[in-house]
Amino acid sequence: MRVTFPVPPIKIRASEHLRCYPAKAKDMVKINLPTERAENWKEVMLKKMAEVLEKYRSVRLFMDICAKCGACADKCQFFLGTGDPKNMPVARADLFRKVYKKYFTLGGKVFGKGNEAEELNESVLRDWITYFYQCSECRRCSVFCPYGIDTAEITMAAREIMAAAGIATKYVTEVVAKVYDTGNNLGIGPEAWKYNCAFLEEDLKDTEGVDVKFPVDEIGAEVLLVPPSADNFANTDTMIGYAKMFHAAGISWTTSTYCNEAGNFGLFLNYANLKKTNNRILEAARQLKVKKIYWGE
Amino acid sequence: MEAFTFVYLPYLCMGIFFFGIAMRAFIWLKTPVPLRIVTTPAPKSWSGVIWRSIGDLLWFPNLFKSDKLLWGAGLLFHLALWIVLLRHLRYFLYPLPTWVEGLQTLGLYGGYIIPLPVAFLLARRFLMDRLLYISILGDYFALLLLLTITVSGLLLQLFFRTYVIDVKDMILGLIHFQPRIPTVHWLFVVHLLSVLTLLAYFPFSKLLHAGGLLLSPTRYRRAIFEMRSVNPWDYPVLYHPGNLSTPEKYAQSLKGAEKGGKECG
Repeated sequence: MRVTFPVPPIKIRASEHLRCYPAKAKDMVKINLPTERAENWKEVMLKKMAEVLEKYRSVRLFMDICAKCGACADKCQFFLGTGDPKNMPVARADLFRKVYKKYFTLGGKVFGKGNEAEELNESVLRDWITYFYQCSECRRCSVFCPYGIDTAEITMAAREIMAAAGIATKYVTEVVAKVYDTGNNLGIGPEAWKYNCAFLEEDLKDTEGVDVKFPVDEIGAEVLLVPPSADNFANTDTMIGYAKMFHAAGISWTTSTYCNEAGNFGLFLNYANLKKTNNRILEAARQLKVKKIYWGE
Repeated sequence: MEAFTFVYLPYLCMGIFFFGIAMRAFIWLKTPVPLRIVTTPAPKSWSGVIWRSIGDLLWFPNLFKSDKLLWGAGLLFHLALWIVLLRHLRYFLYPLPTWVEGLQTLGLYGGYIIPLPVAFLLARRFLMDRLLYISILGDYFALLLLLTITVSGLLLQLFFRTYVIDVKDMILGLIHFQPRIPTVHWLFVVHLLSVLTLLAYFPFSKLLHAGGLLLSPTRYRRAIFEMRSVNPWDYPVLYHPGNLSTPEKYAQSLKGAEKGGKECG
């Protein structure tokens, strides 16, 4: 069934007050980021911006070719929900684009405000923090853009740039730090993970009368299973399902206490943590000497 | 002054046009695409990619999904523009191929059509609050420039006829590097100057969107996610001493687990 939403009239700064809590120093230390906003944040951010523009064709190209046709404008759920014009994908990208124009293009340097170029200042940064954290990086806009402009790439670039200067949100940094601490997003420690698995084993024995194993940290198993951590915590039926499948198929498998979560919050922060979070899956596989990795999420 | 308008400026603007496009393409091409971010459903083969790109260039399937009216106007504008551009080959080629000659009537109709979608595109920038919010000076400038070019061209065709032989003489002179200064109607000068402005403006503005579309990382790549995507600027993962769960620490935890001991946490 096709569900259509009425497109709201624009309401300037309607969702400006919806801002995330800033990151805490204890989490920022664990994920290799500055604990507070750098003294010279502007220089740090512009340096990082130059680096990002050289590393990602997507960002530079999307900055250059947007024709402002407005096809994406009414496609973002954050705009449909709030009516805040800065939540239109094109306007969100414009927050990045005006700084890009000011420092990296001839037109912006020469014509300045007339070409919508703007210096990176406190109010622009405020908009960045607000609106680049009101994007869920779902990429819906890229499906509707005639040039495939993907605002998620721009959001990620902006967050990467802000993170370099020590600007991030509590939620994301806390989760990433938790992954390094406990192996998953929910903060389930190794003991709890094992206990949960033992509990499910018992549960299954009671209900089905079959001995189905939920192996943890078994070196030499064939398959490493990396489920979403909620499967061993809230949606346990799914975890039981995995175990039954492996049991029925006769495949030896294991979960890892070092890495039992494939959901990657590094995506919402920066490339280094994105890579590191994913790399843990490979490290766990090598430690346990498995042949295959199955991962959900 | 006349030498400037009819000789130096055309050469200068053409130079900016080609050099600018080459520069843009060079910058885009030298910037790596680290991750496979093609929008699905995407083709798995290169031939599929070529078809997808041709489709993107010619009939804008994504725009069709998002906004039918805009798609219609955009398609009409681009088609008419292509026909008109092809018809203009009659001023650039000698001897004239018959297929260009055959385009004469169709090309004129294309010219009559162009102002309609352009006016529509301009109107929606004023009439829709969302579009008004995102539009910048450059957006209006591009549309008004196109309108100036088309209207001056149409007026030249319909009412103020300039001597076409002189025009062609001038253009062929430029092509063969033997520039000649023609005597033409002043409206032709308006037409010429606005076209030259467009040429010089083109590479540095959003008007180069077609070129960008061909190199857009979400459009032109294959969706082969099984294949390893090599990131040219990749670097090894670094652990901060403050991090608790390095692989080494985890190895200890494994040992502890084997002994049935207490975990580190």
